Parts: sequence; structure tokens; C-alpha cells
Amino acid sequence: MCKGLKTNFLGVELASPLVLPAGVMGMSYSGLKICVENGAGIVTSKSLTKLPRSGHEGPVMAEVPGGFLNCMGLCNPGLEEGLAEIAEFKKLSTTPLIVSIFATGREEFTELTLAANRSSADFLELNLSCPNVFDEFGIPLAASREQVFEIVRAVKEVSRLPVIAKLSPNVLSITDIALAAEAAGADALCLINTLGPGMLIDIYARKPVLYNRFGGLSGPCLKPIALKLIYEVYSSVKIPIIGMGGIQSGQDAVEMKMAGASVIGIGTAIYYHGLEIFNRVNQEIRDFLEESGYESWQAIPALDKIRD
Amino acid sequence: MDKRVTLRIADIVKECSDVRTYIFQHPLAALPGQFIMLTDFAGGEKPFSLAWCNDQEFAVTVKAVGPFTQRLATKAAGDIVSIRGAFGSSFFISRHRALLVGGGYGTPPLYFLARRLLEAGAEVTVVNGARRSDDLLFCDRFRRLGVEYHNITDTGGSGREGTSVNLAGELLKTSKFDYVYTAGPELMMKSLIALLQDQPCQFLMERYMKCAIGICGNCTVDPLGLRLCVEGPVLNREQVERITEFGVYHRDAAGHRIKFTDRGEKIT
Ligand SMILES: Cc1cc2nc3c(=O)[nH]c(=O)nc-3n(C[C@H](O)[C@H](O)[C@H](O)COP(=O)(O)OP(=O)(O)OC[C@H]3O[C@@H](n4cnc5c(N)ncnc54)[C@H](O)[C@@H]3O)c2cc1C
Ligand SMILES: Cc1cc2nc3c(=O)[nH]c(=O)nc-3n(C[C@H](O)[C@H](O)[C@H](O)COP(=O)(O)O)c2cc1C
Ligand code: FES
Repeated sequence: MCKGLKTNFLGVELASPLVLPAGVMGMSYSGLKICVENGAGIVTSKSLTKLPRSGHEGPVMAEVPGGFLNCMGLCNPGLEEGLAEIAEFKKLSTTPLIVSIFATGREEFTELTLAANRSSADFLELNLSCPNVFDEFGIPLAASREQVFEIVRAVKEVSRLPVIAKLSPNVLSITDIALAAEAAGADALCLINTLGPGMLIDIYARKPVLYNRFGGLSGPCLKPIALKLIYEVYSSVKIPIIGMGGIQSGQDAVEMKMAGASVIGIGTAIYYHGLEIFNRVNQEIRDFLEESGYESWQAIPALDKIRD
Repeated sequence: MDKRVTLRIADIVKECSDVRTYIFQHPLAALPGQFIMLTDFAGGEKPFSLAWCNDQEFAVTVKAVGPFTQRLATKAAGDIVSIRGAFGSSFFISRHRALLVGGGYGTPPLYFLARRLLEAGAEVTVVNGARRSDDLLFCDRFRRLGVEYHNITDTGGSGREGTSVNLAGELLKTSKFDYVYTAGPELMMKSLIALLQDQPCQFLMERYMKCAIGICGNCTVDPLGLRLCVEGPVLNREQVERITEFGVYHRDAAGHRIKFTDRGEKIT
């Protein structure tokens, strides 16, 4: 891989700034591995819960112009088996890995963190923002500054791994939430989880298309919102940001870098462009670096901060 | 293409006690081996292989095995379901001597394939296996195609006694085939590999599917990471031979690894 793509993220060297986001291709070690083979610089596991979950009944995915609604419902084999998949991935690959965990409150997050400490993951991501388990767990934790602060602080107290807080776009002020996470000691932020949720209705069946009725929106239509929220948060925090939401080209990735993200996730675009998307975007970034005279990905400056 | 369409079931054919074919009047662009995701809006959206598909209609043949498929068995013509697809890879259409080895509900997609092979000018031999003769699917349809057709059941009723793999093994010894295709229980397909000579072979392989569009990762196979909803469900022999979980385990809706038992059943 060309030197220009090399990126330092929280002290760890990445061969590419492209991230496989949580919940995409991350159910098994082989799913993670094939994304690395296709050019991802860092991969994230499916969000793991204490106990296994089969997820929601289907349909769990519905196409809309410019994206998809999904209500996977946090399907995962549970922390223990999930960490075993991660260990298997790590036996085959030196690529850094983020373990994503989901819990309903502080104590459970702490418990999962202690288990993650013993894993071979490089980073710990707290999914505070799944929009698809509302019926079960209520409003995502990322909606509350106090909750985010409390959980991040509790996790930071016990975590061996750097902690990333994954936030929701579905809040009044994402900056307030981001500042709370930073104040509690988060090492980085991940923005954004899916938007909404939204819904679709089948007019012939007179039923919601998704069996869970509602699902979070991902894909290209998310990009302007993700950019705006990342830019807003970047303007206020000092910790690095994993940016994601609708990215499908090198131009998109650079745009998100300029909004203030350090590394960039590509999820739904895999549907539109195949797994080759990672290598293609890597190449498009290299082309951009050459064209524009930047020495490296890291040398691409963000816009001036809003509050500069 | 992920286009969803909501359709009325045009007709239902009862194939045997627990298997029905659902026919839809809708022009679907699909190739043999591809599948659709089907929901009745009552919980669950499940993959089914196309049993045939032309400019006017398509069909899927479904065995009632669990909550979703049992509910489907209670549907009547005129009931509404919604489908998306067709998804996945399709069978290569050979123009030469083809051997099709099917078992259980793996047989209907091979019927779709047989029709396309014949149209392409191939010479087609079909081995259709089941436990009991009542469970043999599509016998009459295959016979009407005019292919060389063999029934085989565990008990020997209405045909030979044995397994489709035994019979395929004999045919492979006595005749030359340019291409082998197989669909059905995974352990059946696995035991077929050992009998193949150097001809190419394609397998229709199933894994738990959710998104069907290649992003959720539920259907990937170890250690290659191939997504069976995109790179599969039809795989080449070279791919299958490198899939260490083939005939060994599969993952369920939560991603648990579930072992195949030696009888083709799964232990949970
Ligand atoms: C590519 C492909 C093509 C298929 N084609 C046919 C077909 O033509 N005819 C047919 O009768 N069956 C077919 N199946 C299997 C069919 O999807 C399952 O029998 C059905 O989903 C069972 O659902 P259930 O609720 O009735 O049973 P359950 O009790 O939920 O499950 C019974 C079995 O079906 C499997 N299964 C359940 N849900 C899924 C899912 N979402 N994806 C894959 N497997 C699942 C389970 O692992 C289990 O082994 C196909 C599967 C795949 C992957
Ligand atoms: C099918 C699917 C499953 C997802 N599962 C998770 C998850 O388990 N945990 C999580 O934090 N985010 C999850 N997400 C959100 C993504 O990680 C990402 O934040 C979002 O999709 C935006 O990026 P994209 O537009 O590139 O897909 C999921 C998204 C999709 C499409
Ligand atoms: S079913 Fe989601 S990747 Fe294949």
C-alpha cells in the first residue's frame, strides 16, 4: 500500500484510513477478513451483547432512494462467541480491530468491557446509539448527556483498550453529547450511526414493510447529514473522529476528512459497489493526493473550525 | 437488484404432504440457481430458490419445516406476499453432457436449470433422490422435459433403492459428463465430491440469509468470507473445496456455529 494512505489512529498505524463499520460483514472472522483483503485498514466486529441475539424477524432491510432502512436488531452470537471469532481473525491478520459492544446500562457495559480486556481486539467501541431496539430498550443511551458521561466514565475506569463512543445523529445537539463523552474520557468518537429510524408501508398488504416497523437509515443519502454533524462535533472536541455515513468514493472520504474525521467508515456502499469498494476508494484517495499535492492522507487539512 | 414487489399468489400446487409450489404471475428477471426473499408480513422473510421463471411467471417450491414455511403452507391462491430479488449467482449453462444430482427441495432449482440447459442444446441426465417415493419432487415435470431421468429413494419405491450420490457415482463411472450440478442436503453434496472426476461441478449451497444484498455478513462461509447471497448460492467446485465449513457447520440467525450431523440434520 502506498505510503500516503498510512494513518496513525490513537497510536496505531493503519495501512489505510478506511474502516469497516460495526454491523457490516462483521458476524464472522471470515467476513472481517475478506474486507481486509479488499483494502479496509481497520475492521469493527458486529455489536456484541452479553447474551446471544437472533435479531428481529424479517424483513430487516428495505431499499429507499439513496439508501436502506435496516432493523437487524443487534443479532450476534453473544460476547463469548463473538470474542472467539475476533481471536480467530487475529490469528490470521495483523490488521487492527475494534470490538463493538452494546449494553443497556453502566453495569452491563462494565462487565462487557472486562471481558473485552481479555480479547485480542485493539479498540473498544461503545454502541450507545442503536435505533432499532427501541421497543426493547427504549431511547438510545446516546440521547442523554448524563447517561453517555456516566457510561463512558465507568468503562474508561476499567478498560485496557482505547474507548470509542459511537453516537447517534438522532439528537437535538450531538455536540453536547460528544462533549460529554470527551469529558468522561473517551479516546475517540464514531459518528454517525443510522438516522431516524424511518418506516415504509406496503400499500397492498397495508402493513409496514419492515417487520419491526421502523429501521435506521444508512447509505449515500446520509452523507450531507453525517458531514454536518461531524463538522459540528469536530469544531468542539479534541479527540479524533471515525466518520461514516453514506461514503462511496474517494471524493466522499476526502470530504469527510475535511469535515474533521480522521478515518472513514464504508458500510452500505458495499451493496452498491461490492467489496472492492475499499480498494477503489483507497486508489481514489491516492489519486486525489497526487492531483492536489498533499503528501499523505493525514496531511489533508480539515476546514477551519466553526468556532475558530 | 433489491426491488421489492407485492404479489398475489396465482396458484399453489401441492407436490406432497409438506411441499408446495407457489406460482406468481410476474415477469422476474432471474437465472437458474438464483433465489428470492419472500415475506407474508407476519414475521420472517426467507430465501427460496426459483423452480422456474419465464417472461410471464415464476415459481418457488417450499417444504414446510418451521414456523414460516408452515404458515406459508396455509396460504391460498389470491393471498398477498412480497418478494425481493432475484439474488445471487447462477448456474453456468453448459452446452454438452450435464449430470444434475438433486435431493429434497434441492431438486426444483435443478428443474429450472434443466430447462435452460436443454434450450442451450445440452444433453441432460437427472438423478432425483429422496427418502421415500412420496417425497420425490418434480418427477413428472422432469419426465415431460424428455431428459434422461432417474429416481432413487432410500426405500426403493418407484425407482432404485439407494441415495442419489450412489447412483450418480455409477453414472459417472459408466458415462462421460462434461459438467455436474448439484443441489440438496449439504452432506449429500459433500459426499458427491469424492466421486467426481476432473469435470467441473457447481453446488447450490445454503446459509442463513437476512439482508440478501451482501452487507450484513450473516451468510459468509469460512475461511473464504464468500457471501452466499452474492458470490453464492451457486459455487464452483474449486470454491467449495476450499470452504472448511462445507458439510461441517453453518451459522444461525445469531451467528452461532451449528454442526451438521451425519444424517444431514443440525444440532442446536
Ligand atoms: C439460497 C437458499 C435457497 C433456498 N431454497 C429453498 C427452496 O427452494 N425451498 C425450500 O423449501 N427451502 C429453501 N431454502 C431454505 C428455506 O429458506 C428455509 O427452509 C426456511 O427459511 C425455513 O424457515 P422456517 O421459519 O419455516 O423454519 P425454521 O424452523 O426457522 O428453520 C428451519 C431451517 O431453515 C433454515 N433457515 C431458517 N431461516 C433461514 C433463512 N433466513 N435463511 C436460510 N436458512 C434459513 C434454518 O437454519 C433451519 O435449518 C433455501 C435457503 C437458501 C439459503
Ligand atoms: C445492516 C447494518 C447493520 C448495522 N449494525 C450496526 C451495529 O451492530 N452496531 C453499530 O454501531 N452500527 C451498526 N450499523 C450502522 C453502521 O455501522 C454505520 O454507522 C451506518 O450504516 C452509516 O454508514 P454507511 O452509510 O456507510 O452504511 C449498521 C448498519 C447497517 C446498514
Ligand atoms: S444475507 Fe446479509 S450478507 Fe448475505
